[in-house]
Amino acid sequence: MSDVDDDWRDPVVEVYKRDIDRTLLRANLKLTVTERLQNAMQHARFADELRRAGRELRARSR
Amino acid sequence: MTDIEALLQRLNENQVEFIVAGGVAALAHGSARLMHDLDIIYRRSPQNLDRLVLSLCDLKPYPHGALPGLPFLWNRAILKHGLNFILDTSLGLIDLLGEIPGGGRYEDLVLESAELEMFSGISKCLSLDQLIRAKRAAGRPKDLDALAELEALREESGSTHG
Repeated sequence: MSDVDDDWRDPVVEVYKRDIDRTLLRANLKLTVTERLQNAMQHARFADELRRAGRELRARSR
Repeated sequence: MTDIEALLQRLNENQVEFIVAGGVAALAHGSARLMHDLDIIYRRSPQNLDRLVLSLCDLKPYPHGALPGLPFLWNRAILKHGLNFILDTSLGLIDLLGEIPGGGRYEDLVLESAELEMFSGISKCLSLDQLIRAKRAAGRPKDLDALAELEALREESGSTHG
């Protein structure tokens, strides 16, 4: 991909960048790679649990 | 939920040549987004196809979203005659990519990839620059958020070759 300029800035992406929470990114960058992945797996488990609980609630309320 | 640790361990134990891509690669570089699956770019040599088949064979791999009960056989032939596969397994969802837009094949990507300690092993992972190039090349509106975050990460980590 020699024709790609890695420093090029897309004005559309620059607009999206304004909404990025950089405090979260800075906190992640202080962790090891394994810690970052473990946190992500914990969040995914939590999201799964919420989905499961929501399904149960909807089934009970029918 | 996809068990990233167990899938990576299996791939490494079977000496599969692969590069972590997608959401897990972004997470490894510091992304704060949720991950749904493990994306890997795999080398398409005959030996590596055999290793990949072996590493997933007892996880009941099956095409994600396909009708149940199809005569899907997980073997080297299916890998050889296809390129990209999205598979449900007993450890979760895994995307096997023979090639990615903006990056190419394993051989095109491996030299610039990063070697990162993930759980108990070292795995190759797309560099931040490679991830950004792939997201740009994909050109999907839904990726604009992710692309903005990756570029912000590159700025925060102070590297253009991360």
